[in-house]
Amino acid sequence: MTQIRKNKTKDKPIERKTILVIEDERSLLEIVDSRLKNKGFDVMTARSVDEVFNAGIEAKGMGIIAVKSIQQALDYLEDLEKVDAIWLDHNLLGKENGFDLIKKIKANGGRWKNVPIFVISNSEKSETINTYIELGINKYYIKSNHKLDDIIGDIHKHLDAKVNKRKS
Amino acid sequence: MTIPNNKIYKVNSVRKNKNLKKDISPSVDIAHKLKVRAKEKENIRRKLAVTAKQLALVARENENARRKLVITAKKLALSASEKETARRSLAVTARELKRLHWTLEKKVLKRTKDLDQVRSKNEAILASIGDGLVVVDKEGKITYINKSFEEMLGWKSQEIIGKSMVEIVPREDVDGVEVQFKERILTQVLSGKKFVANLTNPFYYIRKDKSRFPVSSIIAPVVLASKIIGAVEVFRDITKEKEVDKAKTEFVSLASHQLRTPLSTVSWYSEMLLAGDVGDVTPEQKKYIEEIYRGNQRMVNLVNTLLDVSRIELGTFIVESKPTNIVKLVQGVIEEYRLQIREKRIHFSFSSEKSIPNIQVDPKILRMVVQNLLSNAIKYTPEGGRVFISLFAQKGNAVLFKIVDTGYGIPKNQQDKIFTKLFRADNVVGKDTEGTGLGLYIAKSIVEQSGGKIWFESSENKGTTFNVTLPLKRKNPKKA
Repeated sequence: MTQIRKNKTKDKPIERKTILVIEDERSLLEIVDSRLKNKGFDVMTARSVDEVFNAGIEAKGMGIIAVKSIQQALDYLEDLEKVDAIWLDHNLLGKENGFDLIKKIKANGGRWKNVPIFVISNSEKSETINTYIELGINKYYIKSNHKLDDIIGDIHKHLDAKVNKRKS
Repeated sequence: MTIPNNKIYKVNSVRKNKNLKKDISPSVDIAHKLKVRAKEKENIRRKLAVTAKQLALVARENENARRKLVITAKKLALSASEKETARRSLAVTARELKRLHWTLEKKVLKRTKDLDQVRSKNEAILASIGDGLVVVDKEGKITYINKSFEEMLGWKSQEIIGKSMVEIVPREDVDGVEVQFKERILTQVLSGKKFVANLTNPFYYIRKDKSRFPVSSIIAPVVLASKIIGAVEVFRDITKEKEVDKAKTEFVSLASHQLRTPLSTVSWYSEMLLAGDVGDVTPEQKKYIEEIYRGNQRMVNLVNTLLDVSRIELGTFIVESKPTNIVKLVQGVIEEYRLQIREKRIHFSFSSEKSIPNIQVDPKILRMVVQNLLSNAIKYTPEGGRVFISLFAQKGNAVLFKIVDTGYGIPKNQQDKIFTKLFRADNVVGKDTEGTGLGLYIAKSIVEQSGGKIWFESSENKGTTFNVTLPLKRKNPKKA
């Protein structure tokens, strides 16, 4: 059974943005989820790379469905397609880390290639940071050095700028 | 002599008697003859007396001569006995000399034996030193190596004695780039240059079989009568230390990672409580949560500082130097501290010379230096005090950064320790100030790794001035 949770708040007239949050630490995942919703985002959460892709890919390709129903899988896929930004931790549950997620996303192509990614991690190793920058992420944060609202504020700004760009 | 004279006299008197015979009568003649005879006798007697006197004189002279001879004889006898004494004492001296000679010989033998013992003991000590040891002459030619050298580098003493150390044992840096002859520490030591070891950048020695190992070495000139006559190098294989170092880095990195997650949890949850995400909080609750948040923030800073220190010590700081506008950088840091400056009602001013050139430095780490010095100045200056920063372009392509405060100052007897890791001066420990004792240690490490200098003047309860000079360009850029 997938742990991916679909956290839609009641429909609002304005265009809502969806953020995919991937963070292994449960307590942090919960607070980020809750704060983002409070700020008016739709949020999808996962704690491993596997979790992000399993439901979608398996339902799509092999027919082996790891979710409760096809409908749910399709809903999930639909939602996944809608993701506007990704909040990503480097160390995740399972064998794969943030690098693997980005590589898979890039390999998938399509709209996902251009989804902005914000990495929020404990590591401040230069190699790690440089690798993320080479992979084309938008910004790298050292987790404990930033206020939650500052990071969310940055994501907000980035998405707003994107919308304005599209409009103009 | 006198006798012949007498004969002559006799002849004369006979002639006179012949004359008298011719004209005088016999009695008168006899009387006359008697008189003459008496006179002759008297003359003879007188002559004899004179002769006797003369004889006596001669006898006396003879006596004198005899006496002199006796004295001389005595003298001779005396000098003979002296000679004998001398001879005897010479004989004694000769015996003594012989004896002394023999003792000396014995002593020399013993000393030689002792020396031999000392020498072989010294040799044994040198040979048994666990570290590699090599002695070179002033041309850098090997004159001695010990057993550890042979074992570590795979060369036998007889193969390399008399050959150039620098050629026999190449030295490489981490990336496998061979250190050139001129750059070799040994070459520099022999030319009389002072060498300061850089422990953050280990070197590798190449063995006879071309394999390599990390090495830590100390090279010192051998000075005799104030002339360098060679050098002695002691080195050791630091593979183990490197492994320990790596383990330490890994531990630090792991610990920091592990600490950051709970720190972030405390930080973000209290942030959300304060934001009223789960309902309003009372003013008192707010105060408590703020304390939790601040305490947590201190831990975050401590973790960050400890990570900086370990990176400095392990040399894993990645320095990305680029032309940096130090004026803007300092202004940026000042802005970060505006709030604190205002809160402590500190009179702050900043001045800069008009044409400060850009300096080639990593802005990220230079910022740390300025932050540490400014936050110290604010922290250790009482409310209402003054803090003043100024920047100057210096001759010889350098920039001087000066920060003056009217704070608590550093006690004279602790000034030499102020850059020591974790050291905090007594006068501020007692005051209500927070600090880790790491800021100045970090600042000094960074400044020195950037080729600059840091120094200060301070007087207790009057204030402190810190000066930092930084070269516009690093002369020998190295990984810090």
